[in-house]
Amino acid sequence: MKPLEAIALAAILAAGTGAWAADAPGKPMKMDEPMHGEMKKKGMKKGDVKKAAKKRESEIKPILEREAAGSAKK
Amino acid sequence: MKKRTMETSLAGHSPRLIRSIERRLFLRQGLSLGALALLAGCELTDDEGVQRLLMAMSRWNDRAQGWLFNPNRLAPEYPESAITKPFPFNAFYSEEEVTLVDGKDYKLELEGLIREKKPWTLPELYGLPQTSQITRHICVEGWSAIGKWSGVRFSDFLARVGADTTAKYIGFECADDYTTSIDMATALHPQTLLTFRFADQILPPKYGFPMKLRMPTKLGFKNPKHIMSMFVSNEYPGGYWEDQGYNWFSGS
Repeated sequence: MKPLEAIALAAILAAGTGAWAADAPGKPMKMDEPMHGEMKKKGMKKGDVKKAAKKRESEIKPILEREAAGSAKK
Repeated sequence: MKKRTMETSLAGHSPRLIRSIERRLFLRQGLSLGALALLAGCELTDDEGVQRLLMAMSRWNDRAQGWLFNPNRLAPEYPESAITKPFPFNAFYSEEEVTLVDGKDYKLELEGLIREKKPWTLPELYGLPQTSQITRHICVEGWSAIGKWSGVRFSDFLARVGADTTAKYIGFECADDYTTSIDMATALHPQTLLTFRFADQILPPKYGFPMKLRMPTKLGFKNPKHIMSMFVSNEYPGGYWEDQGYNWFSGS
C-alpha cells in the first residue's frame, strides 16, 4: 500500500470510529444539563434524579430493615 | 422532527383502546376539577400547602384506580407485523448517556419482605422459564409503540424468592438512578414480565439491559429499565416522577 493510500485509509477509519463513538451509549451523564423528554418540568436537571435516589435510599433502608426483621420474627 | 400529538399517535388504533384512554382522561380531568374546587378555599401562594393537597388528591386517585383494577383483564396483544420499527428510545437523558451495566458482574439485589434474599446473577435469571409478549407501550407524553419483550412472569419470580405477596408495594432501583414502585396486584398480573430480551435479542442498553419490568397495563414511565434492586414493602415508596406529581398508579 502506498503512503498516501495508507493515510487516506487511516483517516477514513478514524472518522468512522469517531462517528460510532458519538452515538454509542455509555458517555458520562451531564448532571447539570436540563433533562430530556416531555415529562420534565421547568428547571429540572438530569442530576436531580441521582439526588432524589440518594435521599430515597436513606429513607427507605431503615424501613425495609425494620419490616424484614418484623417478618422474620413471625 | 414532527411533534407527536395524542390524535396522530392514536390514529389507526382500536376504538376500544381509544375509548379506554378517553375514559381515563375524562376521569383525570374530572378529578382535576374536583381538586380545583377544593383549592378555591386555599391560599394559592402557599406552594407547600397546595402541593400537599394535590398530592393527597393524587393518592386518593391511586386508591380509586387500585379498586377499579381488574387483575384478570388482559391488555391487547399484537402480531409480529404490528411491531413498531424502530422502537422509540425515551429517557430523561440522551441515548449516548445510556448507562452501561456489566453483565458479568451483575447481581439483582432483593430487599424487604422477601424470604430468599440471595442476589441473582444473569445466567440464573436467564435459566428461569421464559415467555414472550407483543404489547403496546403507552407513554404519558401522548405517543405509543408496539414491541416484543421476553422474560419470566414476575408472579413466578416473586413466588420463587418467597416474596410476601400480601404486602402492598414493590419498589425498584435502577442503574441510571431512576426509581419507581408498583402495587402488588399489578406485580401479580399474568402479563407483568421481568424481561431480558427485546425483539428476540438480549435487551440492548438503550432498552434497559440487563432487565426491564414490562407491564402493558401501566404507562411507560412505570416500566423500570436497568433494574439493579427491588424490594417488597408495606410502606409507600413513591418514585422519581411520582414524587414530581405524576399519578402513581398510572394504569388500567
